[in-house]
Amino acid sequence: RFQALLGEPAAAQGLRAALRERYLRGLGAARGRPARFCLRAGVCVEAVFGAADVGAVAFQVDALRTPLGVQAAALLRCTDVLAYSFLLD
Amino acid sequence: MNDWQRKSPLDWEKYVNKMVKVAAIEKHEYEGWVLTVDPVSASVVLATFLENEKVSISVVLGHAVQEVEILKEGDDEMKQRLSCIFAPEEGKAYSP
Repeated sequence: RFQALLGEPAAAQGLRAALRERYLRGLGAARGRPARFCLRAGVCVEAVFGAADVGAVAFQVDALRTPLGVQAAALLRCTDVLAYSFLLD
Repeated sequence: MNDWQRKSPLDWEKYVNKMVKVAAIEKHEYEGWVLTVDPVSASVVLATFLENEKVSISVVLGHAVQEVEILKEGDDEMKQRLSCIFAPEEGKAYSP
């Protein structure tokens, strides 16, 4: 995770920064948008994307629709999520 | 940690701006243009252009990625199109 601190070549560090910046801008674009999360065992849930933590441990979502009702706010563990998608206008 | 997560930024960068098919665990498959690969989680961010001029973004988490196959190279026009998707909005010009 912290490869950049382990004496990585400068070229690789530059690429790492560029890739990460685009990813973070993507997280910014996802904020507040309805998203569909595919979890393990074929389970899919819908929620409003909130935020992700720095180490890719969990996603914070709002209005998570579950079979038991709508959770106003929730954390989804990244290890349980296979993929998520959202629409941009 | 899987093989995909062990790759370096130099490896991941080869997939950027290319149309790929991502094979994920539990037999899921995703197709789209690679916008970026998060160097922390190795998650692949894919864009697909829909008919109504909307863009669908799919993020396949690094731990779920099994294999990534390149289907098509992106031309300059596509690279430009992809670079605009998450680009910050231009700052407003302030009058002196």
